[in-house]
Amino acid sequence: MSDGDIKVGIISCSGEEIPEGTISRLATRRVLELMRPGNTVTICLPLFLAGNEAEQDFARKHPTITVDGCGKLCAKKGTEKHSGPVSAALVVSDILDSQCSCCARSAKDRTESDKEAVWLVSEEIAKAVDSILTENGGCCNSEDDTDSATCACSKPVPGMEILVDGKPITVAGLALIFDHLAVNGLAPDDKCGDKLLETVRIYHAIEPEEENAYKAALILAYKTYRRKS
Amino acid sequence: MSKRKTIIMPCSGIGKVHGLIAREATYAAADMANAETLCLALLVSGDKDARAKIKDADCIAIDGCPKLCAAKNVEMAGGRVVKSVRVVDSFRGHRGAEPGTATALADDGWKIVREIAADIACGLGKSEVK
Ligand code: SF4
Repeated sequence: MSDGDIKVGIISCSGEEIPEGTISRLATRRVLELMRPGNTVTICLPLFLAGNEAEQDFARKHPTITVDGCGKLCAKKGTEKHSGPVSAALVVSDILDSQCSCCARSAKDRTESDKEAVWLVSEEIAKAVDSILTENGGCCNSEDDTDSATCACSKPVPGMEILVDGKPITVAGLALIFDHLAVNGLAPDDKCGDKLLETVRIYHAIEPEEENAYKAALILAYKTYRRKS
Repeated sequence: MSKRKTIIMPCSGIGKVHGLIAREATYAAADMANAETLCLALLVSGDKDARAKIKDADCIAIDGCPKLCAAKNVEMAGGRVVKSVRVVDSFRGHRGAEPGTATALADDGWKIVREIAADIACGLGKSEVK
């Protein structure tokens, strides 16, 4: 595998019994779809556990992060037993501590607390992806991966174009980021630049020398977006 | 009627909308029929308590696709699968449906969830949502 081809595998426990399992599944989906679409792949844990060698090759082919709902670490243990050591093991209940006490298992009961929990866990997963990519010298963003172990719906979400110093730049999922910040009360005024920059850079690389230009572009884009929505 | 406890387990497949429908149908059916669910991965990992829980239970597996990961894993863990539901079969009556994605269901997806759940609850002699 060449450096540019590195895809980080993310395996979620998706535990059905507790809300943390739902959060692990949704946060994993969020990283695959929105935050690191070109750099990540996944596989269904039950398929992996019942699977043949092709499926169980997954963690040997990809540096893999497991995301477990609780300290029983089913995804981590299953992956290590069938495939090999994992590069990072995240546990939702550790990340959220008591913050998920009012979270729900089913989407029909979901509230703002659930969205916030998913947001926090997905940020931790994205950080782990970045550190693995840095260690492996990989930073590719290709979207034409045909890896057979990849699940079918891990397609990137559409981006939004902003003008940074007059240059058109596409930021993946910017509309979703704007929606999230709007729901959390970020006013579309001249003071929102720092928060916009802080949030967008989680998903989109911004060099220190580009900060001011991005901030100005994001404020303008956010004001326009809020006027239209 | 059997006095055995009913445990409903979905595959929760993370790559397709079918996995999410299986998962939501599990919660809906469990609500309707006063049944339980259990973490599939925990059962497969060999957890003693999880295995003890299914030992005397009737298991219903809801799988997204014909790979039947939930049904196979429950059986491999020693469980007794009394009903195996395939979400993909439920799509037959919904040609052109737009069910949503593996992350969020649209109206058509929820409709299929309710149908599967009602069918399971009906089979268990329950027809009203708690
Ligand atoms: S890690 Fe916890 S939540 Fe996840 S499958 Fe295992 S027991 Fe369930």
